[in-house]
Amino acid sequence: MNAIGTEQILIYFAIILALTKPVGSYLAAVMEGGRTIFHPILRPVEKLVYKFCGVKEAEDMRWTGYAAAMLAFSVAGMVLSFAMMRLQGMLPLNPQSYGTKEISPDLAFNTAASFATNTNWQSYVPETTVSYLTNMVALAIHNWMSAAVGLAIAVAVIRGFARKSANGIGNFWVDVTRSTLYVLLPICLVGALVFVATGSPENFLPYQHATTVEGAQQVIAQGPVASQEIIKQLGTNGGGFFNANSAHPYENPSPASNLLTLILIFTLPAGLTYTFGKMVGNTKQGWAVFAAMSAMFLAGAFACNISEQVGNPHLAKAGINSQITPGQPGGNMEGKEVRFGIASSTLFATITTDASCGAVNSMHDSYTPIGGLVPMFNLLTGEVIFGGVGAGLYGMLMFCVIAVFIAGLMVGRTPEYLGKKIEKFEVQMAMLAVLILAASVLGFAALAANMSFAKDSYWNAGGDTITNLNNSGAHGFSEILYAYASGTGNNGSAFAGLSANTPFYNLTIGSAMLIGRFLMIIPLLAMAGSLAKKKIVPASSGTFPTDSGTFVVLLIGVVIIVGVLTYFPAMALGPIVEHFQMHNLKTY
Amino acid sequence: MLDVVYLLAASAFFVIAFAYITACQKLRGQIDE
Repeated sequence: MNAIGTEQILIYFAIILALTKPVGSYLAAVMEGGRTIFHPILRPVEKLVYKFCGVKEAEDMRWTGYAAAMLAFSVAGMVLSFAMMRLQGMLPLNPQSYGTKEISPDLAFNTAASFATNTNWQSYVPETTVSYLTNMVALAIHNWMSAAVGLAIAVAVIRGFARKSANGIGNFWVDVTRSTLYVLLPICLVGALVFVATGSPENFLPYQHATTVEGAQQVIAQGPVASQEIIKQLGTNGGGFFNANSAHPYENPSPASNLLTLILIFTLPAGLTYTFGKMVGNTKQGWAVFAAMSAMFLAGAFACNISEQVGNPHLAKAGINSQITPGQPGGNMEGKEVRFGIASSTLFATITTDASCGAVNSMHDSYTPIGGLVPMFNLLTGEVIFGGVGAGLYGMLMFCVIAVFIAGLMVGRTPEYLGKKIEKFEVQMAMLAVLILAASVLGFAALAANMSFAKDSYWNAGGDTITNLNNSGAHGFSEILYAYASGTGNNGSAFAGLSANTPFYNLTIGSAMLIGRFLMIIPLLAMAGSLAKKKIVPASSGTFPTDSGTFVVLLIGVVIIVGVLTYFPAMALGPIVEHFQMHNLKTY
Repeated sequence: MLDVVYLLAASAFFVIAFAYITACQKLRGQIDE
């Protein structure tokens, strides 16, 4: 660990800490229908949207209606994206004349599922595959929609805890409209201009041709980058305009844009913890959740940084100086941008996998085994360390229910959380959500590690599915495990090293994304609906205080133990064994 | 043709998701009883 790494982590955390209360207060005001500074302009627009769409603002939905509306909204968006991608050759804003041959049906399925679920996994190279219109309408629109859906679901789950003897958990259409109009739109309008100021392009120009100083010809991709960049980070979507994602100088031109990017990723998920506290009437409850998330984030950030700074023992054995000096960053710089170095790269890797963003500014595949284990473990926690917009909070509230259930078992009392008795149904729903994630990650990874196809078959032209890997052994398995963890966790970052644009991988990773998103949300909404109906029991001397340090430790323990118990065997076959092999000078 | 197949695959998932809502609702009903 060096001073630069430590300073970057701590300064970044201080900024997020400072933003949490104001952002959280604002989100609470918006989602509870309170007045905000944007009301004079946006309230008439909001009313117009309801009138145009036939939405009754005051109507409350039961959890079933809320879940059905969420599914209908998502399926409509997914079909629109699929159709636009397949028809892009006939649509405007396509100066490179991309058509259907660039996007096969299986790739369109994968990509539509990816963007509709806030995953933004990209099996394709954006700048050689999709037109500007496809990028802006078929894909980037989901950056807005899926983030707004995540925010809406989180608030609906909070209402489950906050309301007493209520049948409804809010109105999905109103929640999505308010999230979009009052939260995403104002920040993105300003933020896109800031990205332009830092150097990101925003144009519809054809790709430019340039002659390099060596005399070679280079094609420089263009496009409306800045407007996609801001929502990509704020909405924790992560899908890049370019294949290199946030390592590309147009997406992330400078250290300033890098810091802005990192702040944007955690802003809403961190703020939502305060929103939670405010809506349940005890901000300490929100801070307890924030503390648990923060402790896990900081532990991961330091572990990843230290591992990359220590680097690869092979270099020392080969007589290469890999120590940090005034003239070199030292450590493991493979797959990292020189302009970002180890500190900014590892911080980015930790944040983007904590937050289910999936944007990357370095190649996770090139990290040391333990450095790569940190992002992978973040995915495997279910993306609850701040997590995606909304998704992180509702995922963590699921773990809160499990934590109080375990605490109740230990002392022999009926578990309570925020005055609500946690009974059989709530625990069943929480466990269903946990198990569905594990089944998807481990089931699909096992399938991908073992499937055999004939060479040149439709499903995988290369034959066996492991032939799509760049590396063999433990590292190759990590590439598969990471892909399904990323898909199921709706993160979307790629470990890389896996050629995933084949019908087999497109279908299975696409399915993992749908399962990880919707089959997790439904039981949590069911839990919220059940909790909303319950009365709030006043705290007694026997109530376990869930705003205490003890609860924070218990919550962290539950997240880690569930993660470790579920995924340790798989991680042992991947990064853990690879770490020991590396120290025995065996690499892949 | 393949477009239809993949759209049907997506539709099948969402049918399962709607059925999942019903299953969770029934489970809640059974517990209440």
